[in-house]
Amino acid sequence: MALPNSNIIIPRRSIAGMEGMWAKMWDPPTESNPITPERLNPTNPVPDFVGTLIGRPPATPNTLDLELLDGLTLPAWDGVNIDFMTFGNKDIPLASGGTFPGTTIRVPRGVIFHATTKGKGPPPHTIHWHGMEPTPMNDGVGHTSMEIGDYTYQWQPNFIGSYFYHCHRNTVQHFEMGLYGFLIIEPPDAYTPGGGNNPGGYPRRTAANTSAFPQFPGFQAGEISPADPHAYTIPYDYEALWVCDDVDSFWHNVVGQEAKAFYPSILTRPGVDDQFFHGHFHDFNADYWYITGVSVDGGYQGSTGTIPPNVVVPMDLNSGVTGMQVSINAQTGKTILVRCLCASYNSMRVTFPVDVVIIAWDGRALGVPPFGRYSRAYKVPAGTSIRMSVARRFDALIRSTTSVNDFATVEFINTRGENVPGREQIVKTALIPIVIN
Amino acid sequence: MKRRDFIKYGMGGLATLVVGTKMPWLMDNPAYAAVQTQNLNFTITDAVKEMVTHEPGNNQATCYFWIYRSNSPAFPPDCPGPQIYTTVGDTINISITNELDEDHALFIPGMYNSGPIAPGATVTGTFRPNRAGSYLYYDNLNTPVNRVMGLHGALIVMPANLHGTRAGGSHRLTPYDRPTPAVQQLFDDFGRAPWWPGLAWEQGDPAANPPTPPFRQYVWLNHQASPVLFNEVGNAAPGTGARIPANFMDGFISDPFIATSNDPRLLLTVPAVPLNDTFNRLPHFFTICGQSGHFSHNHPAITPMNRVGEPCVVHVLNAGLWTHSMHLHANHFYITCVNGRVQSNLLWVDTFTSKPMDIYDMVIPYMRPPDIPNVRGIGRADAGLPAGLGTTWPPQQEFDVHQPKVGTTKISFLNPGTLIDIAQRQSPLVYPMHDHSEASQTAQGGNYNCGLIAGMTIIGDRNTPGWREFPRDADFDMMLTLGNGAPVTKPGGGTDP
Repeated sequence: MALPNSNIIIPRRSIAGMEGMWAKMWDPPTESNPITPERLNPTNPVPDFVGTLIGRPPATPNTLDLELLDGLTLPAWDGVNIDFMTFGNKDIPLASGGTFPGTTIRVPRGVIFHATTKGKGPPPHTIHWHGMEPTPMNDGVGHTSMEIGDYTYQWQPNFIGSYFYHCHRNTVQHFEMGLYGFLIIEPPDAYTPGGGNNPGGYPRRTAANTSAFPQFPGFQAGEISPADPHAYTIPYDYEALWVCDDVDSFWHNVVGQEAKAFYPSILTRPGVDDQFFHGHFHDFNADYWYITGVSVDGGYQGSTGTIPPNVVVPMDLNSGVTGMQVSINAQTGKTILVRCLCASYNSMRVTFPVDVVIIAWDGRALGVPPFGRYSRAYKVPAGTSIRMSVARRFDALIRSTTSVNDFATVEFINTRGENVPGREQIVKTALIPIVIN
Repeated sequence: MKRRDFIKYGMGGLATLVVGTKMPWLMDNPAYAAVQTQNLNFTITDAVKEMVTHEPGNNQATCYFWIYRSNSPAFPPDCPGPQIYTTVGDTINISITNELDEDHALFIPGMYNSGPIAPGATVTGTFRPNRAGSYLYYDNLNTPVNRVMGLHGALIVMPANLHGTRAGGSHRLTPYDRPTPAVQQLFDDFGRAPWWPGLAWEQGDPAANPPTPPFRQYVWLNHQASPVLFNEVGNAAPGTGARIPANFMDGFISDPFIATSNDPRLLLTVPAVPLNDTFNRLPHFFTICGQSGHFSHNHPAITPMNRVGEPCVVHVLNAGLWTHSMHLHANHFYITCVNGRVQSNLLWVDTFTSKPMDIYDMVIPYMRPPDIPNVRGIGRADAGLPAGLGTTWPPQQEFDVHQPKVGTTKISFLNPGTLIDIAQRQSPLVYPMHDHSEASQTAQGGNYNCGLIAGMTIIGDRNTPGWREFPRDADFDMMLTLGNGAPVTKPGGGTDP
């Protein structure tokens, strides 16, 4: 169809003098095993703790050993095989061939964290530690640093809470393909036995200010410092991880075969002979949905499916912590922490059958001074929805004195037409069992 | 237009109108092509815009738009319309001429409604903003077609007390007439509380290089553009075809999938993806303030380029029909206002939801990225840990890394006979802000890195003595001050015409 007649042309802006900046965004530099600047000795105790549990010390002490990437084919609820790109965790036999999602990484606040990455299969990739805020080279963004196969990432987590990690290739394309996992920052002494800590299980503690919600026992105020690891934390007896994802099987099973599909490249003269391919990555149509790796059954677009009861994450895939749940099965009068990540391009509406108290968003605990003095934890009554969109996380506390045998509802909402009258579309509903006796 | 002004627009200064009371902090900032006026004088017209990728040969990277064009001052046409800053209580005169073939309008919720303007007609009016905040001005006729076709822009209303009449004793200024206690506390604490060393939002620093303006603020106006559908609208008669809202939304929101690909590598995959260069009617360009990729990420009026200790405000608006989940690296940000409601519980987040027609404000504290190793590891402005000959902050070893490496050469854009080094120094510290959904990170459905993306750049640290300015290479300096280069990229990609 001919372009409508218009006598006004709006020209593209110039890149003259900025060829390097243009080229870096268009086709990020690829580096082979660059040196980590300002390198420190790692002090993260968790890899060694896990190594003791599974009888196999980590290849490098105090260091995670991740592989980019391992292909994985997983049957969905209907038996259809879906191809994933996943992280392999080389120190853990159960995870060495990749898992979806990747292993849950737990790190105590304040330690020096190192993760070595080894490239496998077609590069390039990166690891972005979403919510961690390190230097650009350790931020894992290709167009602001480099794309890699091998590198040692370094950072020091400063805030307790819920995060995730993912490959940042083309920003978030490989994230959709499954290259991600959950990341939890815990109190500084979470892996130090004694003082009420249980490194390999529960109860554990997380950051919160629940002074307005005395129904949750054990809250400690104080002064946040290395000397007071429990200041502004609360213990929880059960933990549930809800990583809510959607998959476009065409992206996974067809395009995923050509890992560099549509990647542009810089040829000889930036801005003049750049190579650029047309494609269809503007057109995402989810047809499968997952809660923490569990395929949601019940049909395709518009259907409702149910997560089975008693889904528990093995300790090998959870930094040595036994008992983390997906479907909740708990006792009355105990504190349950739900960590929920919207890992789906679809937006979400999460509705609990019980009252919950939101204690944190995006790894920042509400009401915790000094930076949280402008906020406070808040109650979301049973039946009231929490809306979120991709990459957002909330931490919610539940404590029920009466029995509950019900479901939390996760409604996936198409981002196309969301909030547009008559056009908002719920594409899938997932029910997650909550049983409290 | 003075030649100096022309150069500012040509370099890509963000076309900005300051209506009524002068705002020197904005007008003295070279990143904005700001002009002060008492009158808005707009034409509603159409335009064809060259989008981010540039195509060889018959340039397919173009998109047809309907636009608000400022006649006087005479800004170069663009989509969106000029961003407008004004002040509570100022009187704004407006004159709008419709050059298109059906009725159009200009509407600002709660403030002004032109009503239908017939083709060829001019409507004049006056309005006085009475509440500070961020607004979308747009054509509310034939909803949502006219707005999504490009007839929209951002209007920021500043509180009257920004200009001298300080209301609250020792309180600092905020972007609002009636800040909540939490918002007032946040703005009071910047530059005063020990955990926020540096400047208050209302404070600038003329001695810095470049100078730090007070009231640092930015607009991120999100939009999605569908060349196929917008073309159909342009070619349709009024009231027919793609101009009918239901048809338009069917195309924009749920047009059937097409396996578009002109990438020959996909012929080699199993199963092979046949080449098909046809696009559906979904949007396939995604813009912030009309720009994508490099043009928004490396633009100092779109991407904040400030120092640690220089907090800023970003007004985020969405004129389209798709949701974006906006993730900022390097700093969590406070949500201070959502859809006109100044917030009383300020979430401190790294991602927030921009649904169609949503308007929210975020405050970036510009703290040192907290997970860079430091003494106590509790997020405060502590010294770095010893590393090499220095410490982890500022990261001097990283400052001296180049990616690409020094010696990576390409042919100059302006001079085909000249080789240039495209090495990029890892200083200043560059971080992205992007939608977390791949669908908006593409242009023309391809990828890397032409989509809805901006960022935050840290050009120095005013809290570490001797490091107010981080090292900058010449091209970064040029970009920062919009001080060089040709106004327009020509020729297009591919072979020279």
